[in-house]
Amino acid sequence: MTDRAAADRRIKLRSGNQMVAEGAVASGCRFFAGYPITPASGIYKGMIDLLQHHGDLAVSSPDEISALAYCVGASMRGYKSMTATSGPGWALMIETVQYALMTETPVVIALVQRLGPSTGGATQGAQGDVLLTEYCTSGGYTIPVFAPSAAAECFELTMHAFSWSEILRSPVILLLDKEVGMTTESVDYSALNMPRVVDRAGLRRTGGDKSDVRTYEFARRSDVPPFVAVGSDIKVTATGSAHNKSGELRKNDPETLEILHHLEEKVLARAGEMTVLGPDVESGAETLVVSFGITARAAREAVEIARRQGKKVSLVNAQTLFPVPAAGLTGAAAGTRRVVVAEENMHGQYRGVIRHLFGDRDVAGVNKIGSMITPSEILAAIG
Amino acid sequence: MEQIQSYMTEPCSIPFCRGCGHAHVLRKLNDALVRLQLEACKVCLVTDIGCIGLADSLFALPHTVHTTHGRSTAFATGIELADGVLADSGLKTIVLIGDGGAMIGLLHLVNAALLNADVTVILCNNYLFGMTGGQNSAFSPLDFITATTPKGNVIPPLDICRLMIDSNAGFVARKLATDQDLAATIADAIAFPGFSMVEVVELCTEFGSRRNQLSGTVLRSIVESHGQQLGVLRRDEVRKEFGRIYVEKFPPDGRKGGGKGEGFIGTKFTNRLTKKFGMVLAGSAGEKVQSSASTFCEAAALSGLFSTQKNDNPVTQGSGFSLAEVCLSPGRINYTGIDEPDVVIAVSREGSRELAGRGVFGRCHLETAVICDSDVEIPETRGSIIRLPLRKTFTPARAALGALFIALARLEVFPGVALTETIGIRDANLASTLTGKVSALLDT
Repeated sequence: MTDRAAADRRIKLRSGNQMVAEGAVASGCRFFAGYPITPASGIYKGMIDLLQHHGDLAVSSPDEISALAYCVGASMRGYKSMTATSGPGWALMIETVQYALMTETPVVIALVQRLGPSTGGATQGAQGDVLLTEYCTSGGYTIPVFAPSAAAECFELTMHAFSWSEILRSPVILLLDKEVGMTTESVDYSALNMPRVVDRAGLRRTGGDKSDVRTYEFARRSDVPPFVAVGSDIKVTATGSAHNKSGELRKNDPETLEILHHLEEKVLARAGEMTVLGPDVESGAETLVVSFGITARAAREAVEIARRQGKKVSLVNAQTLFPVPAAGLTGAAAGTRRVVVAEENMHGQYRGVIRHLFGDRDVAGVNKIGSMITPSEILAAIG
Repeated sequence: MEQIQSYMTEPCSIPFCRGCGHAHVLRKLNDALVRLQLEACKVCLVTDIGCIGLADSLFALPHTVHTTHGRSTAFATGIELADGVLADSGLKTIVLIGDGGAMIGLLHLVNAALLNADVTVILCNNYLFGMTGGQNSAFSPLDFITATTPKGNVIPPLDICRLMIDSNAGFVARKLATDQDLAATIADAIAFPGFSMVEVVELCTEFGSRRNQLSGTVLRSIVESHGQQLGVLRRDEVRKEFGRIYVEKFPPDGRKGGGKGEGFIGTKFTNRLTKKFGMVLAGSAGEKVQSSASTFCEAAALSGLFSTQKNDNPVTQGSGFSLAEVCLSPGRINYTGIDEPDVVIAVSREGSRELAGRGVFGRCHLETAVICDSDVEIPETRGSIIRLPLRKTFTPARAALGALFIALARLEVFPGVALTETIGIRDANLASTLTGKVSALLDT
């Protein structure tokens, strides 16, 4: 998003949660199942309002397990689907996220973080679910995770999430935090980037023998099998258990192991294309500041102050957290001696993930729980 | 169209133990499908975990979706909701679930029935967990001996049919696997337009029959000894299926949604801000504190300013304090926190206490305008206190808006007329009343 002259702007006041809903509808999402939870309820409400006006389906579910299962079912039937939750609801969804991953079912989950553990603080912000989000699968499979820092980015990254969910046939997580989701701010619609919408490209065959279509057919491990909807005239054999390319239950079959590798490699092969970092690299910078979500905004302010003080600092707003944007991060760090990673959690969860990318550089963390990290706290770490 | 002779893989290699009721039930399901002659691609079998979850491989023609334990009904509901509203409602989705799965996923059964989603659940109740070694389930009869109730089960079994009837399920039946008319009942359930469940009582030959020295002939007496009934227990075709209700209730209304649309705020007034401005506004729940702050932000946008607004209140939304933090800036706002506020407004005692608790008064600078109601106590602050009868002049529900006019008159961040105009879009009377009262108050 770039700033425009006042006369050219098209301003609405929108929360991050509302912009997730708008981004979902702009992506062609036609199904939402929701269960209320602060601070994510604004997405639920937004989808009820938008989808019901379109004649599309937004429905309440009796718990978060059902919410995601309804979405996965609807997606299997052929429709782009989304749900939204926060940490306690996410804990319940993890079983079904793994099912979506294993059955290669596209679905988008918006997770608006709040202070944990357990029910924690419903109206308190936090960025403590980074690892819980990414490492929720048995086997540690890579699930794309995108983290917006502002309402406009919520719109853009929701569209990004839907696109990649379709391309990969995979669950994709939008990782907001309470401050991004619930803060209402000016959004200049004329400056929004509208990513290309990837349609649900279903495998269709007219006439002929359809019995030879294998639900999980691919040639190379990184290929994505063409989607076939349950209810179409090509038989779907879907399963969350270990299976062959026909979707038949198999144990330690070479094809089964090939599929498990494929689930990971189809994502990693496209890591570069998925990367959104908004790098603001200053030539000759001594320090790189990496942040994401609400903290990236304090980081930007800190970097601007530091530059006014004559310091040479680069900034990365990691909108793609996973797959780890390794090339982008090492590129932004080139020539620096120090990396500062700012995030609103206790131990620096993302710092732990990316530290190895920076070799023998000093990698410092700015971490905090209970309230937003301030620009001055990041400024102090820049030194 | 050619008659479909079987929906199963023929010849069919049954993966179940000799004498297992599952094989029999699946044959009857196939008979029911043959009887209905549904187009194969318009049938989806959704299977649960456990022995019954092996059914997928036996059905060559329909779609099959093998799911997680207990969740099969939820996935099926999702498929059917989408089919009924977004597609042509032509798909028949049939869940195959055991008694273990039915208990872990009980809520999914209840909600599918409440929704009246067009899902048919065939609940194969063999009174235990077979695949994992014959442990007792919530459906085990009293005194039933299982691996985990070696001295007999002491917990009375769940009457799932009664629960489904109470959940407003349209079609509910309890049958024995040995019933001659089982296929006909299953066919009726599948054809039923809405949620249907058939509980089929059977025996696990590996863990149920031997330990309890039972044969299929005693199933009826086990059922009846627990006061449970057999047969079609409910059939109510009056209630419409969810998809039909939804489509009728929510036709597309042609209103645009998504990225582009109506309601943009154009720039009509100018502003005097050169840097970020921060304001904290607090009062009591129900006194329009946060909505007044929203109106203020709209007026700021009308004056070419960017804004952020963060609201806070206790977890119970209708009581206690209500607070809004507003940042304004001529350019994009990064950090949304307010370290040193330029304006602090306290329109009630509860609001003032909350501000004090957050240390807001202590963070004021020398130029900070602290606008408060006459009856509100303000702790020591460097800001300049402007004490006015806000609640009395504007009423408690309009005290926040009144205070915002005072703030604008004092700081001239943007013209007060922008606020008047924003209020006037929704309520012209309120706008003129407020401005009149503000002028009178400022004159005094």
